[in-house]
This record gives sequence, C-alpha cells and structure tokens, in this order.
Amino acid sequence: MSDLVGAKRYEKGRTLGEGTYGTVFEATDKVTGRIVAIKKIRLGKYKEGVNVTALREIKLLKELHDPHVIELIDVYPKKKNLNLVFEFMTSDLEGVIKDRSTVLSPADIKSYMQMALKAIAFCHRKWVLHRDLKPNNFLIATDGQMKLADFGLARIFGSPDRVFTHQVFARWYRAPELLFGSKQYGPGVDIWALACIFAELILRRPFLLGESDMDQLGKIFAAFGTPTEAVWPGMTSLPDYIEFVPCPPTTLRQLFPNVSEDCLDILQKMFTYDPRKRISAEAALSHRYFSTGPAPTKPDRLPRPPIRASGDNDAQDRSPVVLSPAHKSRRISFPNLDTNPQSDGGQPSTGVRRAATGGRPGGPGFDPMSISDEKGRPMLNSVDKSYLRKRKLMMDLALQESEDA
Amino acid sequence: MAADFWASYQSKQLLSVEEVSRVAEEDLELGLTLQDTRLIKIAMTTYMRDLAQQAKLRQRVVATAVCYMRRMYVSKSLCEYDPRLVAPACLYLASKAEESVAQAKLLVFYAKKLKPGPENGAYQLEVKDLLDMELRVLEALDFRLVVYHPYRAAVQYLNDAKLTDVMQTTWSLLNDVYRTDLPLLHPPHVVALGCIHLAAFLKDRDAKPWLEDLKADMHAVRAVQMELLDHYEQYANIDPALTAAAMAKLPIRTRAART
Ligand SMILES: Nc1ncnc2c1ncn2[C@@H]1O[C@H](COP(=O)(O)OP(=O)(O)OP(=O)(O)O)[C@@H](O)[C@H]1O
Ligand SMILES: [Mg+2]
Repeated sequence: MSDLVGAKRYEKGRTLGEGTYGTVFEATDKVTGRIVAIKKIRLGKYKEGVNVTALREIKLLKELHDPHVIELIDVYPKKKNLNLVFEFMTSDLEGVIKDRSTVLSPADIKSYMQMALKAIAFCHRKWVLHRDLKPNNFLIATDGQMKLADFGLARIFGSPDRVFTHQVFARWYRAPELLFGSKQYGPGVDIWALACIFAELILRRPFLLGESDMDQLGKIFAAFGTPTEAVWPGMTSLPDYIEFVPCPPTTLRQLFPNVSEDCLDILQKMFTYDPRKRISAEAALSHRYFSTGPAPTKPDRLPRPPIRASGDNDAQDRSPVVLSPAHKSRRISFPNLDTNPQSDGGQPSTGVRRAATGGRPGGPGFDPMSISDEKGRPMLNSVDKSYLRKRKLMMDLALQESEDA
Repeated sequence: MAADFWASYQSKQLLSVEEVSRVAEEDLELGLTLQDTRLIKIAMTTYMRDLAQQAKLRQRVVATAVCYMRRMYVSKSLCEYDPRLVAPACLYLASKAEESVAQAKLLVFYAKKLKPGPENGAYQLEVKDLLDMELRVLEALDFRLVVYHPYRAAVQYLNDAKLTDVMQTTWSLLNDVYRTDLPLLHPPHVVALGCIHLAAFLKDRDAKPWLEDLKADMHAVRAVQMELLDHYEQYANIDPALTAAAMAKLPIRTRAART
C-alpha cells in the first residue's frame, strides 16, 4: 500500500466543476476507499510558479482542522499541475438557497447559521480572516454538515503591522468599511458577510444587490439608513469615504417581517455599522437566538439540497430567477493586490505601514521586520562577540543558579 | 494564527539536536562533514539575507525562508537538493507565504548578480530552475508553510521586563539565531527569552528576577543561550576557504550548467 502515494493514490472520476484557477474532479482514494474531490491547479501559467491563491489555501488549510472547515486531505504535484485533495461535498449553500423546491424552516435557517458561525468563530480564534464568504463557499457534506471552503483570499490577521487590500469578498457580501476603502479591518468583515448570508437564507434571494461599489453602499444605506459619525466614529476618515445623501433607515422589521424577535436582534447586531461594535462570531453563537426555540435542526435532518450533477459547474443553469454577480469578475481583483512588491514587500510602503501602526511596541520608527531598515537587522558586532565569549563561563554559572532556583 | 503557536504544526515538529545534526548518507559519500553542512547552511543564510536585501524583501520573508531551508535539510541531502538553488527557491516561496510576493524573474536577476558563496563561476540560475525547485521544496516541506518567529514575542517581553534598552542587542542575537538550527529546536518564545537573557548580560542588566517571575523554562532558555554561544565561538569568523571547500564537494545541478 505504501507505493500508493501522489497521483497513484487516486482513481479519477467525473468532472465536478470549474473554478477560477482549476478544474475539480471526483475521485476515489484507493487507500481509504473514500470519495474525494481533487482540485487541479495549473502551474507556471504566468511564469510565477505556484499560484499565490492556491498557496494561501494550502498554507492555511494545513493548519486549520475543524468539523466546520473543509478538510484538505492531501496535496501532490503532477506534471504541470498541483493537485489539492479535499473531502467530497455533495452541494453548497447557494444550491440550498436557490432550489425553489426546498422549504427552509426557521429551525433550518438557525442550523445553517450556527454551522456558519462555528466555522468563522474557529477561523477567528486561529487569527484567520476568510474574506470571501458567500453561499457557494459553504459546502455541504453527505451527512448534512456544512463546512467552510475556498480559503484562497484568507489571511492571518495576527500581525497588527499589516495593511490589507479592501478588494475582497464578492460585492454583495462586502462590509461598509471595505467599501469605504479601509485597509485595517478585522474579523468584522466576515461577520457582515455572514449577516448578508443570514438575510439571504431568510429572503431566499441575495439581500443587497449592488451593481457597483457605490451602488452597494447605496443599497446598504437604503436598508439601514445612512450612518453618521455618531453611530460610526471614524467613518468619515476612511480612505474612500464619500458623503451620501442622508437616507432614513427602514426598520429591520419591515425588511424581515416574518422572523422572531431574537432573530431580528442578532441580525441587527451582525449588521452593525461600526466594525468595533459589530458582534463577534463567538458572541453571536451565545446569543439567545440559538438558545431559545425552535432548536436548530440536526444537520442530518436538514432538507436535502439538490445533489450536484456531473459538470454542473456554475449557478446560471440552476435558477433563472436569481441573478448572480458577474460570477468570475469578482475575482479579478484578488491576485496580489496586497501581495505585490509594490504595495507590500517593497520599501516604499514601510513608511506607510509604520505610520499606520503608530503605537507599536518598540516606539515610532522602529520597524524590526523591515529589511530595508538597516537598523532592523544588525549583526552582533565583534566587540560584543568577544565580550560574550569571555562572559560565557560566568553566564553558565549564573544560569545554573537560576535553574536551581 | 500569530498567537496560536501551540496549536500549529510547527509546535508538533520541534526537533532534537541529534535530528538536526545528522548528515545525509549521500552527502557523507561525497565527503561532506557535519562541519561542512553547517558552513554551507550559514553561507546560504547570509546569501538569502543579501539576496532579499537586493530584491527588497522583508526581514520576515528571510526568517521564514531560512526556516524552510533548514527544515528541508533535516530530511533531504545537500547533493540532491542543491543549496544554491534551494536558497532562492525558499526565498521565493516564503515571499508568497508571507504575502509579499517577489517576482521570479527579479529574484533570478539578483541571484545571477550575487553568486552564492565564494566560488562557482559556472553556476547559473534560470527562472525554470527556480520554479522547479519551488515545487520540490514545497513537497519536501510537506506543504507546511506557516512559521512562527520570536521577534514579536521578544518585543512584548522586553516591554514587560522594562528592558527596552537592550532591544537592539536582542535583535542582533535574534537575527543570528537564524544562522543556527535553533528555530527548529525551540518554540519562538523560548528563543526570544534566551536572546533577551543573553542581551541583558551583555549590557550588564539583570533579567533573572524577571525571568523567574515569568516561570520560564530555564532549562530551555539556557539551552538556547548555550547553542548561540557555541555558534559565536565556532563560527564568528569563518574562513571563506573552508566554506568554499565545502561547497566544492557538491555537484552543480542547474539546468544552465548542465547544458
Ligand atoms: N470539496 C468538493 N466536493 C465536491 N465538489 C466540489 C468541491 N470543491 C469544489 N467543488 C466543485 O467544483 C467547483 C469549482 O470549485 P472551486 O472552489 O474551484 O471554484 P468556485 O468556488 O466555483 O469558484 P471560485 O474559484 O470563483 O470561488 C465548485 O463550484 C463545485 O461545484
Ligand atoms: Mg468558491
């Protein structure tokens, strides 16, 4: 069995779909007998080796293990491709929402939202922002469990010195701070997107269908009222802030006439303008919406979403009623906007980074990780070195003391 | 994941001194000694740093790249994975993993200008070599790319210990840590503490009471210091001829050199 490694381990089957950077096949794992999905990523197309998006996904999924995050089972290169082996998923949340023969009860919606929030709470605990939440990135397993996939835009946000690109998320799921060009956003962006998905589960159609970034803001403000500096302090200083004609809020009740009070309350907390006041995934999970009736439906009892048909690779043939955002065009923005040397690794931006992070330990102007900053990377000078050698014995003793202590 | 070292893969694969001090069978056959392999890795660490400086890559990219290289050679031989190729490939991969992507073409351009080590006129690197090696490195690393570093922990500790005046010295020591296999042996916060204690000694400050308060694992902190001190003792002034001799034992494996 030990020679069943790499490509030899899998028996390839039908094509499942076409993604932005590769084709997905169904396959059988000869070692475990398990059905898997293999994402084949073309290499070297742009003479830049392994695709950054794919690499990001690999890097993060190798570290993230949770029942609500898709499992990356294996990775292997073959010829001019890199193959990512995932657990096989029968459908996705977009399929559930769009299938008009599926009826979703309040308990079903609660179940989906609980799984989605668990996935995001886990990611945020691990300091990962997903940044591309939308219904078709929540995949559904045979047993009804929903898992988060597509980590190609995800980022570790533990480093406070990083500025991020605001060109993330499909437009309809983009938080207002992103639309205003914020580059120092946090987990709140994922929560906003989840709120949009929540609304979409209730309404059974995308909630805020902006046709441009500007229009998206307009749609948001039309729904929740134009925010003021009082509700959202700091808003007017965001990079792309522009003033909108004040628009009074519709009450949430008008927007969602048939949901419970608890449901309305959690929605309100997730749709909060000020990202600092927006509820966290962890807090949302302990909101009373989840503890009062009806109890969330057990995943294996959820209405069966339509099983993917062979070659059904996109949404347009599923339901003529709902329009998708230019499905692939949203991705135009992702490659390296925040990763090219000009905006990130190159020296011109270090000043920006530093300025943006003002109160970091080490004091202003001290940017330890910047190589363009000579004083950030000194070697120990030779005086220090010989001094060190002399003091080595002494130190040894001193250390032994502290060890005994 | 910055604060989540213990849940990471890295925490589960800390190695022992014996494990990082093995010389691969194939390398032994070529006459490479443990000392040779160490010299080569130090030379490559310097090379990566210089190359990164030319290509304007962040320090963090270098730190990650050096860890990739050192981790690779725990299981792979130098002769099969030519360090002159591995070094730029690790930098390239780390630049992607750390979200400040370098252009392959640019990296190759600088790699051509800046020859690795003191010899090798025949050595030529092409984009194709770099991309091929990137994939081999990825495989050798089992696609595990997240690396934690001691810098941030060190800053926090220094602030906490009110020892910010030894920041520069600590930093120098931390940078030198990457010239050793220490990052593979100890968790980043222990490495940070080892460097802080050493730095405090150098500057006649006493970090001991603070370390005791912290209930740090003094045995590990001490091990870090001793390893660093050994390094300074043995490799503070390396004779370039020794490194050259070690490198000369390796066959040249770039495409350009073969054709
Ligand atoms: N784990 C999986 N199990 C079963 N089918 C999958 C799996 N992952 C992806 N697919 C199928 O393959 C298609 C392509 O997936 P992929 O994630 O590459 O792109 P996408 O999500 O459709 O688009 P994009 O790359 O723009 O996000 C999906 O639409 C889906 O039908
Ligand atoms: Mg997707």
